[in-house]
Amino acid sequence: MAGSSIPGVVIRGIASAVPERTQGLKDLPELFGGSDAGKIIEVTGVRSWHVCRPGQTASDLCLAAAETLLKNLSWDRDSVEALVFVSQTFDYVAPATSCCLQARLRLPKSCAAFDVALGCSGYVYGLWIASSLMLAGCRRVLFLAGETATRIISPVDKAAVPLFGDAGTATALEREDGHVIHFDLGTDGTGFEHLIIPAGGQRRPRSSQSAVRTPREGGNVRSDEDLYMNGPEVFTFTLREVPPLLNRILARAGWTKEQVDFFVLHQANKWMLDKLAKRLGIPAASLPIALEEFGNTVSASIPLAITHSLRGSAAQESRRLVLAGFGVGLSWGAAALELGPIVLPELEIVP
Amino acid sequence: MTIEEFYKEVDSVLELEPGTIKGNESLLDLSGWDSLALLSFIAMADSKLGLIIKAAALVNCKTVGDLVKVCEGRVKD
Repeated sequence: MAGSSIPGVVIRGIASAVPERTQGLKDLPELFGGSDAGKIIEVTGVRSWHVCRPGQTASDLCLAAAETLLKNLSWDRDSVEALVFVSQTFDYVAPATSCCLQARLRLPKSCAAFDVALGCSGYVYGLWIASSLMLAGCRRVLFLAGETATRIISPVDKAAVPLFGDAGTATALEREDGHVIHFDLGTDGTGFEHLIIPAGGQRRPRSSQSAVRTPREGGNVRSDEDLYMNGPEVFTFTLREVPPLLNRILARAGWTKEQVDFFVLHQANKWMLDKLAKRLGIPAASLPIALEEFGNTVSASIPLAITHSLRGSAAQESRRLVLAGFGVGLSWGAAALELGPIVLPELEIVP
Repeated sequence: MTIEEFYKEVDSVLELEPGTIKGNESLLDLSGWDSLALLSFIAMADSKLGLIIKAAALVNCKTVGDLVKVCEGRVKD
């Protein structure tokens, strides 16, 4: 779509949660013992990542983040009129995970709740949807974005394991005059095969064959039920779409690059963020990177970067932010907003 | 970009000493031609040639000469 600007919406707070268990390259000598771990870390920017324990889901992490946020905001639960859950790792095939979250969060029965199945672009899409709900009459919306990415990759895929981590986030939005959030969203489904889990849906149901892990390109071992990423295609897509996307969102907001305090981009990996920053002329100080302890947490990566890197900044006073998510779909979105002062609780560690 | 400058850029992508690549090498024989080198080559073409390479064509390159061809005339002999 062309861009849109939604008035009367303000973000009151953002909280993030991660599972307690962590993993790093040094914990996987059978996979990375013979490799140059230092080089992998230099490229990915990821030293360790958080991993859910068996039975723990993205909704569990989002629940912890939401509980912390509601408490810190002192919001009456009955005042929440809609719950949006963005993820690609749902609790069940049916019902929607957001319905389970409505009950677990003790939100009122009058609360609308639905899931949105998007990945790296999901946080910006979720903000857009939540903001649009304000135009539809909602006063308070809780927007949860979380992923257990470590569950959808092959545990022996040397290209994927050192990149991804698990996290859940909660963002509280409220209707208030005098604010505006600008959006620019897009899709190129012709590239759907470049980031995909081919089997396990209705198009190609799980089977004994789809679960078999075999060596694929570059010697990476995975099955058709594991995430596949075509690195060169995803990178060229990023170079093609993200710089114009950021130029459009700046034009819509009427800001120059220099007037933006922080560009919070999807935390794909450090190498790609560095290349994008160089291409766009964004100084390092304006580009939060929250990869070292978390990895790429898909739809949770933008809010996690905000809570991790901007706690001492946006929590105190208003900052101009440009957000951009891009990836699986292929799908992308950017938002420009003034954020803060807002509630940014400390990271929640979920046992 | 001249062909000599291009070869130096390929040296850099492959983390080789400048002057190593002469133009007739097979990529499969170069140990540095891995998934990260593919990405580095894409980044180089973007920043130095102002060209977003077609990824599918790049993946099919077998020789340094093929790399020149995917640069769509931006490298001059």
